[in-house]
Amino acid sequence: MTDTAHKGSIQLSEESRVLPSGEREFMMDVSTADLEVNMGPQHPATHGVMRVLIRTDGELVTGAQPHLGYLHRCAEKIGESVEWLQYLPYTDRYDYLSAMNNNLGYSLAVEALMSVEIPRRATMLRTICAELNRIASHLIAFGTYGLDIGAFTPFFYAFREREWIQSLFEKICGARLTYSYIRIGGVFNDAPPGWLKEIAHFCDVFEEKWKEYYTLLIENHIFVQRTANVGVVPREMAFDFGLTGPMLRGSGVDFDLRRDLPYMIYGEIWDAGAFRIPVARGEKGTLGDCWDRTWVRVVEMMESLGIVRWCLDAIEDGPVIGEIPKVIKVPAGEAYVGIENPRGELGHYVVSDGGKVATRCRVRGPSFTNLAVLEDLLPGTLLADSIAIIGSIDIVVGETDR
Amino acid sequence: MDFQAIHDHLRARGAPGLIAADEPRAPNKKEKDPGRSGHSFVTVEPGKWIEFLTLCRDDPRLGFELLIDVTATDPKADDPNLWVNAELLSVSHKHRLSIKTLVPKERPVIASATAVYRAAQWHERECAEMFGITFEGHPDPRNMLLPDDWVGHPMRKDYEFPKEYHGISCE
Repeated sequence: MTDTAHKGSIQLSEESRVLPSGEREFMMDVSTADLEVNMGPQHPATHGVMRVLIRTDGELVTGAQPHLGYLHRCAEKIGESVEWLQYLPYTDRYDYLSAMNNNLGYSLAVEALMSVEIPRRATMLRTICAELNRIASHLIAFGTYGLDIGAFTPFFYAFREREWIQSLFEKICGARLTYSYIRIGGVFNDAPPGWLKEIAHFCDVFEEKWKEYYTLLIENHIFVQRTANVGVVPREMAFDFGLTGPMLRGSGVDFDLRRDLPYMIYGEIWDAGAFRIPVARGEKGTLGDCWDRTWVRVVEMMESLGIVRWCLDAIEDGPVIGEIPKVIKVPAGEAYVGIENPRGELGHYVVSDGGKVATRCRVRGPSFTNLAVLEDLLPGTLLADSIAIIGSIDIVVGETDR
Repeated sequence: MDFQAIHDHLRARGAPGLIAADEPRAPNKKEKDPGRSGHSFVTVEPGKWIEFLTLCRDDPRLGFELLIDVTATDPKADDPNLWVNAELLSVSHKHRLSIKTLVPKERPVIASATAVYRAAQWHERECAEMFGITFEGHPDPRNMLLPDDWVGHPMRKDYEFPKEYHGISCE
Protein backbone atom coordinates (compact mmCIF):
# COMPACT_ATOMS: atom_id res chain seq x y z
CA MET A 1 0.00 0.00 0.00
CA THR A 2 1.21 3.47 -0.76
CA ASP A 3 1.46 6.05 1.92
CA THR A 4 -1.48 8.10 0.71
CA ALA A 5 -3.87 5.19 0.27
CA HIS A 6 -4.47 4.71 3.97
CA LYS A 7 -4.35 8.30 5.11
CA GLY A 8 -6.49 8.74 8.13
CA SER A 9 -7.68 5.16 8.16
CA ILE A 10 -7.57 2.62 10.93
CA GLN A 11 -5.32 -0.31 10.10
CA LEU A 12 -4.66 -3.64 11.67
CA SER A 13 -1.01 -3.99 12.46
CA GLU A 14 0.84 -7.25 12.22
CA GLU A 15 1.31 -7.35 15.95
CA SER A 16 -1.29 -9.13 17.98
CA ARG A 17 -1.52 -10.74 21.37
CA VAL A 18 -3.61 -13.49 22.85
CA LEU A 19 -5.96 -12.37 25.60
CA PRO A 20 -6.58 -14.52 28.71
CA SER A 21 -9.95 -15.46 27.19
CA GLY A 22 -8.18 -17.04 24.26
CA GLU A 23 -9.18 -14.36 21.75
CA ARG A 24 -6.54 -12.68 19.68
CA GLU A 25 -6.38 -8.93 20.04
CA PHE A 26 -4.90 -6.94 17.19
CA MET A 27 -3.08 -3.75 17.99
CA MET A 28 -5.01 -0.90 16.48
CA ASP A 29 -2.91 1.72 14.87
CA VAL A 30 -4.79 4.96 14.21
CA SER A 31 -3.13 7.09 11.63
CA THR A 32 -3.30 10.76 12.54
CA ALA A 33 -2.36 12.02 9.11
CA ASP A 34 -4.48 14.77 7.55
CA LEU A 35 -7.75 13.68 6.04
CA GLU A 36 -9.36 15.44 3.12
CA VAL A 37 -13.14 15.66 3.28
CA ASN A 38 -15.45 16.96 0.60
CA MET A 39 -18.16 19.09 2.14
CA GLY A 40 -20.70 19.26 -0.61
CA PRO A 41 -21.58 19.70 -3.44
CA GLN A 42 -24.84 18.42 -1.95
CA HIS A 43 -24.46 19.57 1.61
CA PRO A 44 -27.40 21.30 3.31
CA ALA A 45 -25.18 23.91 4.91
CA THR A 46 -23.87 25.17 1.59
CA HIS A 47 -27.40 26.37 0.66
CA GLY A 48 -27.09 25.24 -2.90
CA VAL A 49 -24.42 23.35 -4.74
CA MET A 50 -20.99 24.30 -3.55
CA ARG A 51 -18.11 22.08 -2.57
CA VAL A 52 -15.56 22.92 0.08
CA LEU A 53 -12.55 20.65 0.15
CA ILE A 54 -11.65 20.57 3.82
CA ARG A 55 -8.40 19.19 5.14
CA THR A 56 -8.80 17.99 8.69
CA ASP A 57 -6.49 16.89 11.43
CA GLY A 58 -8.92 15.11 13.71
CA GLU A 59 -11.54 17.71 14.61
CA LEU A 60 -9.33 20.57 13.52
CA VAL A 61 -9.62 22.13 10.07
CA THR A 62 -6.18 22.77 8.63
CA GLY A 63 -7.14 23.88 5.15
CA ALA A 64 -10.18 24.76 3.09
CA GLN A 65 -10.63 25.25 -0.61
CA PRO A 66 -14.03 26.23 -2.00
CA HIS A 67 -14.86 24.85 -5.44
CA LEU A 68 -17.52 26.82 -7.26
CA GLY A 69 -19.18 26.64 -10.62
CA TYR A 70 -21.79 23.93 -10.10
CA LEU A 71 -24.53 26.49 -10.73
CA HIS A 72 -22.76 28.49 -13.42
CA ARG A 73 -25.30 29.56 -16.04
CA CYS A 74 -23.25 32.06 -18.07
CA ALA A 75 -25.34 35.05 -16.93
CA GLU A 76 -22.79 37.54 -18.21
CA LYS A 77 -22.56 35.88 -21.61
CA ILE A 78 -26.35 35.85 -21.88
CA GLY A 79 -26.26 39.58 -21.05
CA GLU A 80 -24.26 40.11 -24.25
CA SER A 81 -26.63 38.05 -26.39
CA VAL A 82 -30.11 39.33 -25.51
CA GLU A 83 -31.66 42.78 -25.64
CA TRP A 84 -31.40 45.12 -22.66
CA LEU A 85 -34.89 44.49 -21.36
CA GLN A 86 -34.80 40.78 -22.14
CA TYR A 87 -31.91 40.38 -19.74
CA LEU A 88 -33.97 41.58 -16.79
CA PRO A 89 -35.49 38.16 -15.93
CA TYR A 90 -31.98 36.71 -15.81
CA THR A 91 -31.07 39.19 -13.06
CA ASP A 92 -33.79 37.59 -10.92
CA ARG A 93 -31.92 34.37 -11.07
CA TYR A 94 -28.53 35.08 -9.69
CA ASP A 95 -29.43 36.12 -6.18
CA TYR A 96 -32.84 34.52 -6.20
CA LEU A 97 -33.54 35.44 -2.58
CA SER A 98 -33.43 39.14 -3.31
CA ALA A 99 -34.61 39.36 -6.89
CA MET A 100 -36.09 42.85 -6.44
CA ASN A 101 -32.68 44.22 -5.51
CA ASN A 102 -31.09 42.57 -8.54
CA ASN A 103 -33.72 44.08 -10.84
CA LEU A 104 -33.04 47.42 -9.21
CA GLY A 105 -29.26 47.21 -9.58
CA TYR A 106 -29.48 46.30 -13.25
CA SER A 107 -32.13 48.92 -14.00
CA LEU A 108 -30.13 51.67 -12.30
CA ALA A 109 -27.02 50.68 -14.26
CA VAL A 110 -28.83 50.82 -17.60
CA GLU A 111 -30.55 54.08 -16.61
CA ALA A 112 -27.12 55.56 -15.84
CA LEU A 113 -26.40 55.26 -19.56
CA MET A 114 -29.76 56.59 -20.68
CA SER A 115 -31.37 59.94 -20.05
CA VAL A 116 -34.70 58.92 -18.63
CA GLU A 117 -36.64 60.49 -15.84
CA ILE A 118 -37.96 58.08 -13.25
CA PRO A 119 -41.35 59.12 -11.83
CA ARG A 120 -41.34 59.68 -8.10
CA ARG A 121 -44.05 57.12 -7.43
CA ALA A 122 -41.96 54.52 -9.27
CA THR A 123 -38.95 55.33 -7.09
CA MET A 124 -41.12 54.96 -3.99
CA LEU A 125 -42.49 51.61 -5.13
CA ARG A 126 -38.97 50.51 -5.98
CA THR A 127 -37.76 51.43 -2.52
CA ILE A 128 -40.68 49.70 -0.79
CA CYS A 129 -40.14 46.50 -2.78
CA ALA A 130 -36.38 46.52 -2.38
CA GLU A 131 -36.64 46.96 1.37
CA LEU A 132 -39.38 44.36 1.79
CA ASN A 133 -37.22 42.01 -0.22
CA ARG A 134 -34.29 42.79 2.06
CA ILE A 135 -36.43 41.77 5.03
CA ALA A 136 -37.45 38.55 3.25
CA SER A 137 -33.84 37.80 2.38
CA HIS A 138 -32.59 38.41 5.92
CA LEU A 139 -35.43 36.21 7.23
CA ILE A 140 -34.03 33.35 5.18
CA ALA A 141 -30.50 34.23 6.21
CA PHE A 142 -31.16 34.00 9.92
CA GLY A 143 -33.77 31.23 9.69
CA THR A 144 -31.58 28.85 7.76
CA TYR A 145 -28.57 29.86 9.80
CA GLY A 146 -30.38 28.63 12.89
CA LEU A 147 -31.23 25.46 10.98
CA ASP A 148 -27.58 24.93 10.04
CA ILE A 149 -26.43 24.87 13.61
CA GLY A 150 -29.33 22.95 15.07
CA ALA A 151 -32.04 25.46 16.01
CA PHE A 152 -35.05 24.22 14.09
CA THR A 153 -37.84 26.49 15.31
CA PRO A 154 -36.68 29.97 14.20
CA PHE A 155 -36.73 28.73 10.63
CA PHE A 156 -40.50 28.27 10.74
CA TYR A 157 -41.02 31.64 12.37
CA ALA A 158 -38.91 33.25 9.67
CA PHE A 159 -40.76 31.53 6.86
CA ARG A 160 -44.12 32.53 8.28
CA GLU A 161 -43.34 36.22 7.71
CA ARG A 162 -41.48 35.60 4.46
CA GLU A 163 -44.54 33.86 3.10
CA TRP A 164 -46.56 36.98 3.81
CA ILE A 165 -44.03 39.19 1.98
CA GLN A 166 -44.12 36.81 -0.96
CA SER A 167 -47.91 37.00 -1.09
CA LEU A 168 -47.67 40.79 -1.10
CA PHE A 169 -45.23 40.62 -4.00
CA GLU A 170 -47.49 38.19 -5.79
CA LYS A 171 -50.27 40.77 -5.59
CA ILE A 172 -48.18 43.50 -7.15
CA CYS A 173 -46.34 41.56 -9.85
CA GLY A 174 -47.74 38.04 -10.05
CA ALA A 175 -44.56 36.22 -9.06
CA ARG A 176 -43.39 34.95 -5.71
CA LEU A 177 -39.67 34.53 -6.27
CA THR A 178 -38.46 35.84 -9.61
CA TYR A 179 -40.26 39.14 -9.88
CA SER A 180 -38.88 41.15 -12.83
CA TYR A 181 -40.98 43.91 -11.30
CA ILE A 182 -38.51 46.77 -11.34
CA ARG A 183 -37.96 47.63 -14.98
CA ILE A 184 -35.68 49.98 -16.85
CA GLY A 185 -37.45 53.32 -16.43
CA GLY A 186 -39.60 52.53 -13.42
CA VAL A 187 -41.77 49.61 -12.37
CA PHE A 188 -44.07 47.71 -14.68
CA ASN A 189 -47.26 47.82 -12.71
CA ASP A 190 -48.87 50.17 -10.24
CA ALA A 191 -49.78 48.86 -6.81
CA PRO A 192 -53.26 47.29 -6.77
CA PRO A 193 -55.95 49.01 -4.65
CA GLY A 194 -55.38 48.50 -0.95
CA TRP A 195 -51.87 47.10 -1.41
CA LEU A 196 -50.18 49.96 0.42
CA LYS A 197 -52.60 49.53 3.34
CA GLU A 198 -51.67 45.86 3.49
CA ILE A 199 -48.01 46.81 3.64
CA ALA A 200 -48.76 49.15 6.53
CA HIS A 201 -50.56 46.33 8.32
CA PHE A 202 -47.63 44.00 7.64
CA CYS A 203 -45.24 46.55 9.14
CA ASP A 204 -47.28 46.74 12.36
CA VAL A 205 -47.47 42.98 12.74
CA PHE A 206 -43.85 42.40 11.78
CA GLU A 207 -42.62 44.80 14.42
CA GLU A 208 -44.17 42.56 17.09
CA LYS A 209 -42.99 39.33 15.46
CA TRP A 210 -39.47 40.62 15.15
CA LYS A 211 -39.08 40.59 18.91
CA GLU A 212 -39.66 36.85 18.81
CA TYR A 213 -36.66 36.28 16.55
CA TYR A 214 -34.54 38.21 18.92
CA THR A 215 -35.45 36.13 21.94
CA LEU A 216 -35.70 32.85 20.00
CA LEU A 217 -32.34 32.93 18.32
CA ILE A 218 -30.18 35.98 18.80
CA GLU A 219 -30.25 36.03 22.60
CA ASN A 220 -30.55 32.26 22.86
CA HIS A 221 -27.77 30.97 25.08
CA ILE A 222 -27.00 27.94 22.90
CA PHE A 223 -26.89 30.07 19.78
CA VAL A 224 -24.57 32.55 21.43
CA GLN A 225 -22.30 29.72 22.54
CA ARG A 226 -22.15 28.36 19.00
CA THR A 227 -21.49 31.66 17.24
CA ALA A 228 -19.70 34.07 19.59
CA ASN A 229 -15.90 34.14 19.14
CA VAL A 230 -16.28 31.87 16.10
CA GLY A 231 -15.08 32.87 12.63
CA VAL A 232 -13.70 36.24 13.61
CA VAL A 233 -13.11 38.60 10.68
CA PRO A 234 -11.02 41.56 11.88
CA ARG A 235 -11.43 44.96 10.25
CA GLU A 236 -8.21 44.73 8.21
CA MET A 237 -9.13 41.29 6.89
CA ALA A 238 -12.56 42.58 5.85
CA PHE A 239 -10.92 45.42 3.92
CA ASP A 240 -8.32 43.17 2.33
CA PHE A 241 -10.92 40.74 1.03
CA GLY A 242 -13.24 43.49 -0.16
CA LEU A 243 -16.13 42.39 2.05
CA THR A 244 -19.31 44.44 1.85
CA GLY A 245 -22.73 44.58 3.42
CA PRO A 246 -23.48 42.83 6.73
CA MET A 247 -20.07 41.12 6.57
CA LEU A 248 -18.34 44.51 6.65
CA ARG A 249 -20.64 45.99 9.26
CA GLY A 250 -20.28 42.80 11.27
CA SER A 251 -16.57 43.62 11.48
CA GLY A 252 -17.35 46.99 13.01
CA VAL A 253 -17.05 49.13 9.89
CA ASP A 254 -19.75 51.79 9.72
CA PHE A 255 -20.50 51.80 6.01
CA ASP A 256 -23.68 51.41 4.04
CA LEU A 257 -24.07 52.48 0.41
CA ARG A 258 -27.61 53.65 1.09
CA ARG A 259 -26.27 56.35 3.40
CA ASP A 260 -22.71 56.93 2.27
CA LEU A 261 -23.07 56.88 -1.52
CA PRO A 262 -26.84 57.32 -1.72
CA TYR A 263 -28.77 56.31 -4.80
CA MET A 264 -32.48 56.83 -5.57
CA ILE A 265 -34.12 58.56 -2.59
CA TYR A 266 -32.10 56.96 0.18
CA GLY A 267 -30.30 60.24 0.88
CA GLU A 268 -33.62 61.91 1.51
CA ILE A 269 -34.82 59.07 3.72
CA TRP A 270 -31.61 59.15 5.73
CA ASP A 271 -31.92 62.91 6.22
CA ALA A 272 -35.46 62.37 7.47
CA GLY A 273 -34.00 59.99 10.07
CA ALA A 274 -36.11 57.02 9.00
CA PHE A 275 -33.35 54.44 9.39
CA ARG A 276 -30.07 53.79 11.14
CA ILE A 277 -27.09 51.63 10.20
CA PRO A 278 -26.51 48.82 12.69
CA VAL A 279 -22.80 48.27 13.26
CA ALA A 280 -21.50 45.35 15.29
CA ARG A 281 -19.72 46.06 18.55
CA GLY A 282 -18.58 42.60 19.55
CA GLU A 283 -21.27 42.43 22.21
CA LYS A 284 -21.19 38.69 22.88
CA GLY A 285 -17.61 37.90 22.01
CA THR A 286 -14.96 39.23 19.69
CA LEU A 287 -15.78 41.94 17.16
CA GLY A 288 -16.39 40.37 13.76
CA ASP A 289 -17.58 36.94 14.89
CA CYS A 290 -20.51 34.97 13.49
CA TRP A 291 -22.87 36.32 16.14
CA ASP A 292 -22.10 39.91 15.15
CA ARG A 293 -22.91 39.27 11.50
CA THR A 294 -26.21 37.61 12.34
CA TRP A 295 -27.07 40.39 14.75
CA VAL A 296 -26.48 42.99 12.02
CA ARG A 297 -28.87 41.16 9.68
CA VAL A 298 -31.60 40.82 12.25
CA VAL A 299 -31.40 44.45 13.37
CA GLU A 300 -31.31 45.60 9.74
CA MET A 301 -34.76 44.12 9.21
CA MET A 302 -36.22 46.70 11.59
CA GLU A 303 -34.36 49.53 9.87
CA SER A 304 -35.75 48.42 6.51
CA LEU A 305 -39.18 48.57 8.08
CA GLY A 306 -38.54 52.22 8.94
CA ILE A 307 -37.71 52.94 5.28
CA VAL A 308 -40.88 51.21 4.10
CA ARG A 309 -42.98 53.23 6.56
CA TRP A 310 -41.39 56.49 5.44
CA CYS A 311 -42.22 55.65 1.84
CA LEU A 312 -45.80 54.73 2.72
CA ASP A 313 -46.22 58.18 4.25
CA ALA A 314 -44.57 60.02 1.39
CA ILE A 315 -45.95 58.15 -1.62
CA GLU A 316 -48.18 60.10 -3.97
CA ASP A 317 -50.21 59.20 -7.02
CA GLY A 318 -48.61 59.46 -10.41
CA PRO A 319 -47.13 57.49 -13.28
CA VAL A 320 -44.99 54.46 -12.46
CA ILE A 321 -42.79 54.22 -15.54
CA GLY A 322 -40.93 56.83 -17.55
CA GLU A 323 -40.89 57.32 -21.30
CA ILE A 324 -39.33 54.07 -22.46
CA PRO A 325 -39.55 52.74 -26.01
CA LYS A 326 -40.54 49.11 -26.62
CA VAL A 327 -37.10 48.26 -27.94
CA ILE A 328 -34.53 50.03 -25.84
CA LYS A 329 -31.47 51.47 -27.53
CA VAL A 330 -28.87 52.55 -25.04
CA PRO A 331 -26.42 55.36 -25.97
CA ALA A 332 -22.81 54.29 -26.25
CA GLY A 333 -20.91 54.48 -22.99
CA GLU A 334 -20.11 52.63 -19.85
CA ALA A 335 -21.20 52.83 -16.23
CA TYR A 336 -20.66 51.03 -12.97
CA VAL A 337 -23.49 51.14 -10.45
CA GLY A 338 -23.22 49.50 -7.06
CA ILE A 339 -26.21 49.17 -4.77
CA GLU A 340 -26.67 47.81 -1.28
CA ASN A 341 -28.04 44.32 -1.76
CA PRO A 342 -28.97 42.32 1.38
CA ARG A 343 -25.62 40.55 1.06
CA GLY A 344 -23.43 43.50 0.20
CA GLU A 345 -22.55 45.56 -2.81
CA LEU A 346 -24.20 44.33 -5.96
CA GLY A 347 -22.39 45.96 -8.84
CA HIS A 348 -23.36 46.10 -12.48
CA TYR A 349 -20.78 47.25 -14.99
CA VAL A 350 -22.52 47.81 -18.29
CA VAL A 351 -20.97 48.82 -21.59
CA SER A 352 -23.02 49.81 -24.60
CA ASP A 353 -21.95 50.49 -28.17
CA GLY A 354 -25.22 52.28 -28.87
CA GLY A 355 -27.10 49.22 -30.00
CA LYS A 356 -29.96 47.04 -28.78
CA VAL A 357 -27.65 44.55 -27.09
CA ALA A 358 -25.06 45.12 -24.36
CA THR A 359 -21.36 44.90 -25.15
CA ARG A 360 -20.61 43.89 -21.59
CA CYS A 361 -22.85 43.15 -18.68
CA ARG A 362 -20.68 42.43 -15.68
CA VAL A 363 -22.28 41.35 -12.44
CA ARG A 364 -20.28 41.80 -9.28
CA GLY A 365 -22.04 39.61 -6.80
CA PRO A 366 -21.53 40.23 -3.09
CA SER A 367 -21.74 36.51 -2.20
CA PHE A 368 -18.87 35.70 -4.53
CA THR A 369 -16.49 38.19 -2.98
CA ASN A 370 -17.62 37.50 0.59
CA LEU A 371 -17.11 33.78 0.13
CA ALA A 372 -13.41 34.25 -0.74
CA VAL A 373 -12.74 34.94 2.92
CA LEU A 374 -13.52 31.28 3.66
CA GLU A 375 -10.07 30.09 2.59
CA ASP A 376 -8.58 32.18 5.37
CA LEU A 377 -11.34 31.85 7.93
CA LEU A 378 -11.67 28.08 8.17
CA PRO A 379 -8.10 26.91 8.90
CA GLY A 380 -7.57 26.60 12.63
CA THR A 381 -11.23 26.19 13.53
CA LEU A 382 -13.13 23.09 14.59
CA LEU A 383 -14.96 21.10 11.96
CA ALA A 384 -18.32 21.74 13.64
CA ASP A 385 -17.63 25.48 13.56
CA SER A 386 -17.06 25.41 9.81
CA ILE A 387 -20.82 25.00 9.38
CA ALA A 388 -21.43 28.02 11.58
CA ILE A 389 -18.89 30.05 9.62
CA ILE A 390 -20.19 29.16 6.15
CA GLY A 391 -23.74 29.90 7.29
CA SER A 392 -22.78 33.28 8.71
CA ILE A 393 -21.35 34.44 5.37
CA ASP A 394 -24.89 34.03 4.00
CA ILE A 395 -24.14 33.09 0.43
CA VAL A 396 -26.56 32.43 -2.38
CA VAL A 397 -24.86 29.99 -4.72
CA GLY A 398 -26.87 31.25 -7.67
CA GLU A 399 -24.95 34.46 -7.29
CA THR A 400 -21.48 33.14 -6.54
CA ASP A 401 -21.66 31.10 -9.74
CA ARG A 402 -23.97 33.32 -11.81
CA MET B 1 -14.03 63.64 -3.17
CA ASP B 2 -15.78 63.67 -6.51
CA PHE B 3 -14.19 62.25 -9.63
CA GLN B 4 -12.59 65.55 -10.66
CA ALA B 5 -10.95 66.00 -7.26
CA ILE B 6 -9.68 62.40 -7.25
CA HIS B 7 -8.23 62.85 -10.71
CA ASP B 8 -6.57 66.15 -9.78
CA HIS B 9 -5.10 64.58 -6.69
CA LEU B 10 -3.74 61.64 -8.71
CA ARG B 11 -2.13 64.12 -11.12
CA ALA B 12 -0.66 66.14 -8.25
CA ARG B 13 0.78 63.01 -6.70
CA GLY B 14 2.24 61.99 -10.07
CA ALA B 15 0.38 58.71 -10.01
CA PRO B 16 2.44 56.07 -11.86
CA GLY B 17 1.01 55.12 -15.22
CA LEU B 18 -1.97 57.51 -15.15
CA ILE B 19 -2.92 58.30 -18.76
CA ALA B 20 -6.12 60.30 -18.76
CA ALA B 21 -9.56 60.82 -17.32
CA ASP B 22 -12.39 59.61 -19.52
CA GLU B 23 -15.54 61.54 -18.79
CA PRO B 24 -18.98 61.31 -20.40
CA ARG B 25 -19.68 63.94 -23.04
CA ALA B 26 -22.71 65.05 -24.99
CA PRO B 27 -23.02 64.04 -28.64
CA ASN B 28 -21.65 66.55 -31.14
CA LYS B 29 -23.14 66.32 -34.62
CA LYS B 30 -20.70 68.81 -36.21
CA GLU B 31 -17.68 66.72 -35.36
CA LYS B 32 -19.60 63.46 -35.86
CA ASP B 33 -18.96 62.55 -32.24
CA PRO B 34 -21.66 60.17 -30.97
CA GLY B 35 -20.78 61.18 -27.40
CA ARG B 36 -20.37 58.95 -24.42
CA SER B 37 -22.86 58.32 -21.66
CA GLY B 38 -22.38 56.85 -18.21
CA HIS B 39 -19.74 57.44 -15.57
CA SER B 40 -16.18 58.73 -15.47
CA PHE B 41 -13.10 56.57 -15.13
CA VAL B 42 -9.33 56.88 -15.38
CA THR B 43 -7.14 55.03 -17.83
CA VAL B 44 -3.83 53.59 -16.70
CA GLU B 45 -0.82 51.98 -18.38
CA PRO B 46 -0.92 48.19 -17.93
CA GLY B 47 2.77 48.11 -16.97
CA LYS B 48 2.13 50.34 -13.93
CA TRP B 49 -1.06 48.56 -12.80
CA ILE B 50 0.31 47.44 -9.43
CA GLU B 51 2.05 50.72 -8.64
CA PHE B 52 -1.14 52.62 -9.43
CA LEU B 53 -3.34 50.41 -7.25
CA THR B 54 -0.81 50.57 -4.41
CA LEU B 55 -0.86 54.37 -4.51
CA CYS B 56 -4.67 54.38 -4.47
CA ARG B 57 -4.68 52.14 -1.42
CA ASP B 58 -1.91 53.86 0.55
CA ASP B 59 -2.48 57.54 -0.18
CA PRO B 60 -4.27 58.94 2.89
CA ARG B 61 -6.46 61.32 0.88
CA LEU B 62 -7.58 58.64 -1.55
CA GLY B 63 -7.81 55.84 1.03
CA PHE B 64 -9.28 53.14 -1.22
CA GLU B 65 -9.50 50.30 1.30
CA LEU B 66 -11.72 48.05 -0.79
CA LEU B 67 -11.13 46.55 -4.18
CA ILE B 68 -14.70 45.97 -5.26
CA ASP B 69 -14.18 44.34 -8.62
CA VAL B 70 -11.65 43.27 -11.20
CA THR B 71 -13.05 42.30 -14.55
CA ALA B 72 -12.33 42.51 -18.25
CA THR B 73 -14.23 43.50 -21.36
CA ASP B 74 -13.86 42.40 -24.93
CA PRO B 75 -15.19 45.47 -26.76
CA LYS B 76 -15.35 43.97 -30.27
CA ALA B 77 -14.27 40.82 -32.07
CA ASP B 78 -11.88 42.79 -34.29
CA ASP B 79 -10.58 45.10 -31.56
CA PRO B 80 -6.87 44.46 -30.90
CA ASN B 81 -7.21 45.10 -27.16
CA LEU B 82 -9.01 43.78 -24.14
CA TRP B 83 -9.98 46.13 -21.31
CA VAL B 84 -9.15 45.27 -17.74
CA ASN B 85 -11.44 47.15 -15.37
CA ALA B 86 -11.08 47.65 -11.66
CA GLU B 87 -13.44 49.30 -9.23
CA LEU B 88 -12.21 50.82 -5.97
CA LEU B 89 -14.20 52.04 -3.00
CA SER B 90 -13.13 54.12 -0.05
CA VAL B 91 -15.03 53.51 3.15
CA SER B 92 -13.39 56.37 5.06
CA HIS B 93 -13.79 59.01 2.33
CA LYS B 94 -16.99 57.64 0.78
CA HIS B 95 -15.92 57.81 -2.84
CA ARG B 96 -15.34 55.46 -5.76
CA LEU B 97 -12.94 55.19 -8.65
CA SER B 98 -13.20 53.15 -11.83
CA ILE B 99 -9.93 52.26 -13.51
CA LYS B 100 -9.37 50.87 -16.96
CA THR B 101 -6.30 49.59 -18.74
CA LEU B 102 -5.80 48.03 -22.16
CA VAL B 103 -3.96 44.79 -22.78
CA PRO B 104 -3.30 43.48 -26.31
CA LYS B 105 -5.27 40.38 -27.29
CA GLU B 106 -2.13 38.92 -28.83
CA ARG B 107 -0.38 38.80 -25.49
CA PRO B 108 -2.94 39.46 -22.74
CA VAL B 109 -0.68 39.60 -19.70
CA ILE B 110 -0.95 41.86 -16.66
CA ALA B 111 0.48 41.70 -13.16
CA SER B 112 -1.74 40.21 -10.49
CA ALA B 113 -3.12 42.65 -7.91
CA THR B 114 -3.39 39.93 -5.28
CA ALA B 115 -0.43 41.32 -3.32
CA VAL B 116 -2.15 44.70 -3.04
CA TYR B 117 -5.70 43.52 -2.40
CA ARG B 118 -6.47 39.91 -1.54
CA ALA B 119 -9.94 40.50 -2.97
CA ALA B 120 -8.39 40.39 -6.44
CA GLN B 121 -7.64 36.69 -6.13
CA TRP B 122 -11.02 35.25 -7.09
CA HIS B 123 -11.94 38.02 -9.49
CA GLU B 124 -8.70 37.49 -11.39
CA ARG B 125 -9.22 33.75 -11.54
CA GLU B 126 -12.64 34.29 -13.08
CA CYS B 127 -11.27 36.91 -15.44
CA ALA B 128 -8.42 34.64 -16.52
CA GLU B 129 -10.63 31.71 -17.50
CA MET B 130 -13.30 33.85 -19.16
CA PHE B 131 -11.02 36.14 -21.18
CA GLY B 132 -7.75 34.25 -21.37
CA ILE B 133 -5.82 36.95 -19.53
CA THR B 134 -2.72 35.81 -17.65
CA PHE B 135 -2.29 37.44 -14.28
CA GLU B 136 1.41 37.21 -13.59
CA GLY B 137 2.27 36.24 -10.04
CA HIS B 138 -1.19 34.95 -9.16
CA PRO B 139 -0.81 32.51 -6.25
CA ASP B 140 -3.59 30.11 -7.30
CA PRO B 141 -4.32 30.35 -11.04
CA ARG B 142 -6.93 27.58 -11.27
CA ASN B 143 -10.27 27.86 -13.02
CA MET B 144 -12.92 29.49 -10.87
CA LEU B 145 -16.29 28.64 -12.39
CA LEU B 146 -15.48 26.54 -15.46
CA PRO B 147 -14.39 22.88 -15.36
CA ASP B 148 -10.63 22.35 -15.50
CA ASP B 149 -10.79 20.84 -18.99
CA TRP B 150 -12.84 23.61 -20.59
CA VAL B 151 -11.54 24.71 -23.99
CA GLY B 152 -11.54 28.38 -24.94
CA HIS B 153 -12.43 31.60 -23.16
CA PRO B 154 -16.21 32.05 -23.28
CA MET B 155 -16.40 35.81 -22.75
CA ARG B 156 -14.24 36.58 -25.79
CA LYS B 157 -16.34 37.93 -28.63
CA ASP B 158 -14.78 35.45 -31.09
CA TYR B 159 -15.55 32.45 -28.86
CA GLU B 160 -16.99 29.48 -30.68
CA PHE B 161 -19.61 27.59 -28.74
CA PRO B 162 -18.69 23.92 -28.26
CA LYS B 163 -20.70 21.33 -30.15
CA GLU B 164 -20.41 18.75 -27.41
CA TYR B 165 -18.96 18.34 -23.96
CA HIS B 166 -17.88 14.86 -22.79
CA GLY B 167 -20.30 13.21 -25.18
CA ILE B 168 -23.20 15.52 -24.25
CA SER B 169 -24.50 17.31 -27.31
CA CYS B 170 -24.84 21.08 -26.92
CA GLU B 171 -26.76 21.64 -30.13
